[in-house]
Order: sequence, then structure tokens, then C-alpha cells
Amino acid sequence: MSRYGSRSSFDLEWIERWARKVNDDRILPVIGRFFTSKFVLGFDDTEYLVDVRAGKIQKIAQGLTPNDMGVEFWLKAPSSAWSKFSMEVPPPMFNDIWAMAHPLHKQLIIEGNSLPFWQNLRALTRMLSLMRQV
Amino acid sequence: MNTHDPIVGRYVYVQCEGKTYRTYYEEHGEGIPMVCLHTAGTDGRQYRHQLCDPDISQNFRVIAFDMPWHGKSIPPSDFHLMEDEYKLTTKFYCEFIIAFCRALELRKPVLMGQSMGGNVCLALALRYESEFSAFIALEACDHSPGWWIDPLHHPHIHGGEVVATSVFGLMAPLSPDDYRWETWWYYAQGGPGIFKGDLYFYSVDSDFRDQCQKISGKVPIYFLTGEYDFACTPEMTQRTAEKVKNSECIIFGGGHFPTSEDPAKFKEVITPVLKKILSADPERRGQGSNAFSGRSIPESRSSSRSERPAEGRKVIEF
Repeated sequence: MSRYGSRSSFDLEWIERWARKVNDDRILPVIGRFFTSKFVLGFDDTEYLVDVRAGKIQKIAQGLTPNDMGVEFWLKAPSSAWSKFSMEVPPPMFNDIWAMAHPLHKQLIIEGNSLPFWQNLRALTRMLSLMRQV
Repeated sequence: MNTHDPIVGRYVYVQCEGKTYRTYYEEHGEGIPMVCLHTAGTDGRQYRHQLCDPDISQNFRVIAFDMPWHGKSIPPSDFHLMEDEYKLTTKFYCEFIIAFCRALELRKPVLMGQSMGGNVCLALALRYESEFSAFIALEACDHSPGWWIDPLHHPHIHGGEVVATSVFGLMAPLSPDDYRWETWWYYAQGGPGIFKGDLYFYSVDSDFRDQCQKISGKVPIYFLTGEYDFACTPEMTQRTAEKVKNSECIIFGGGHFPTSEDPAKFKEVITPVLKKILSADPERRGQGSNAFSGRSIPESRSSSRSERPAEGRKVIEF
């Protein structure tokens, strides 16, 4: 990903590359030791289930099925917003998930149970920042 | 050989609203007194670079204090009996700043504050302008909603980590990593509920949108905001400054914590402001060298893949 480039789509292949970056990270197992959760990343109308155990991604899946029990929260944003977020040097207001979700900006919507989102904010912030290395 | 910062720390007893607060402050320099206000939930360490900068300290007596409940300033002794959660109010904040300045017998200091410390400059300009010679409002605006939220003080959430991480994105991505994480650390060390309680002032109790126009303009106000500040955006500061008489607005390439996240960048943007303050107040400058040297602050320092289709969708397991 170039510093100022744009991405046409966040397909499953891209999500997989991100997940491998996450699982190669040596800090997340420390700060995410207790980060075990299922959450969904939404890019426009496309949803990806992310199954995390102890800071590592166990499974990703495109779309949800009736068998996907226990999903705790959704992070949904336009792909244009995720494109800015995942730039190597993201622009102002798009450099952080709480920045994008803050009531002043509303680029990212948090749905579901926000408690595990806040509980794991440090690990989640690092996990998502690795999108900048995909 | 040992190396020391030139900063000296002391405690002063400050009377405010019928209580006595043992208040910690640090200072260095001589000349025009400049009182520095930290951001919500943290303490005066945010000004450690400015306290040590000889270009500043040769003309300003720089003083950074910790508000009650913050840093090394303890809460009131009966805090465990409080029947409401900690909430910083505009009234207490203003009165405490005035009481601190009087306790140190400061005469018309410059007041520099960032974030909530910047916003309170507006309240002080409205209520106590005769007490100050200039205001430097960093990352300040007339209303900053959206921060008085329960996740910042909740028994099921690690307060230090959530508070510090909630503000991390307020910093510019290109600010030095070590200084950004030092700022994160200050936040992680705050007392339980103190960041959230300060944000009661920041987001709820202070709304100056209909009051800014009433500031007389007798005391100059310098607004400086970084482009990555998503709590007080450059547009929010600019809109505020347009309403305040005798003000200047400077937008720079930084974030919400300029004094601590990127002190070298901050020195670039604050130096012209300090020169203006000096030129307006020449008899109070320090006795040492009288020019900014332009010296800069040192820069900081696969798993295997198994894929199986499930109910017509793609699933990847690691």
C-alpha cells in the first residue's frame, strides 16, 4: 500500500493479508492476552467476521450465517473511510477508530455490545493499525 | 557525571471553596510568570520540555502545577465520602487557578493551557481578565462535546488503558513515537474517574458559544490547534477565534498534546507568540540573554493456511 494510494476494494484476500500481519505481530499477544472476542468489520455493505482468541485471529469469514453465534460488536464504516484509515500516514480525523467513531465525526459506527470494544481498545487499536502494513 | 533537569518542584497550600489543597507545582526560569495548565486527567509533566528550554526560561518564569486529584496533588481528605462522582466544574476550575496564582503571589501572569486548560482560558477571559497579561489557548474552542462518557470510568474496563488509548489518536501520526507513548503513559497514570470527571467540564459544563463575543479583548488570546485534533478540530478553533476580539489563530501540523507529543514542533509554533508577549511586556523579561537562540529541542528518540468452504461462503482458518 503506497503512502498516498487508494484502495478499490477490501476483499477477502486483503483481509487475509491483514489477519496474517496481526498473527505475525509480537506485541499483540502481550497487550491482547485477554482479548478473546468475535466481532465484525463492515466495509460498505460487506461484512467480515473476525474471531479473536488471546490476541490472535483464529478465523475470518465473509458474511455471517446463523451458525455465527456470539458476535459481540460491529465496526462499520464506508470503504472510503477505511481507505483513509489504512494509509501509511492517515489524514486527520481518520487516523484512529475512536476518532472516526466520535460523535463529532461519525465515520465509523459501533453496534452491538460496546463493552468488549472498550475493554480491549488498546489491543484492538493496534490490531486495526496493522492495516497500514497490508 | 550526573545530569539534572533545572526544574524545581514544591508544594503550596491553596485555599479554594472552603477547602485546603496541597498542590504540587514545578518551575524554572525568570521573567514574566507563565502558568501552564495540563490537559484532562494528567499533570504538569506535559510541560517538562518547556520548563527545561533555556530560550523560554531566560525570559519567563515557567510554572506548571497539578490540579487537585492529579499528579502529585492529592484529593481533598474527605473524597471517600463524596456522594457524587468527581466532576470538575467551570466555577471550581477558574477559582482554583486564580487561588493558585495568588498563593504564589504572581502578578499578571501569562496563562497557557491545553485542551481543557485551553478552554478554561475563555472562562477566565470572561471573568478574571484583569488577573492575566495574555492567554495562550492550545487546542481550545468554545464548545467540545462528546467526551463525558461512561466507558472512561467503568469497573469492567481498565481505566488507565482505555483512557490513554482513547486519546492516542488525538496525536499526529508523525509525532515522535517515544513522545506519543510518554503522553499515553501520563494518561494511564491518572486516578480512577478523574479523566472522565475533567471531561464534565470539557464537554458539559463549559459552553462558551454564546459568550465568546463578550470577551473584552483587553488581554490578547493566542489560539493554537494541531490539524490532527479530532476533539477540537482546526475549524472549531477558527470559528471560536473569529468571535474573540484581540485574538490570533494558528493552525499547525501536529496534534492535541503539542507540548508533550512533539516539543520540537511546538517550539517552532510557540516561539513567535512568546516573542510578541515579550515585546509587549519588555520590562518584565528575564535578566539573561534576551533573544531566542533558535536552538532546537533534540529529536526523540505465517501460519499455514487451511481454507474450507462453508455454506457457500469463504472461511479462512489460521
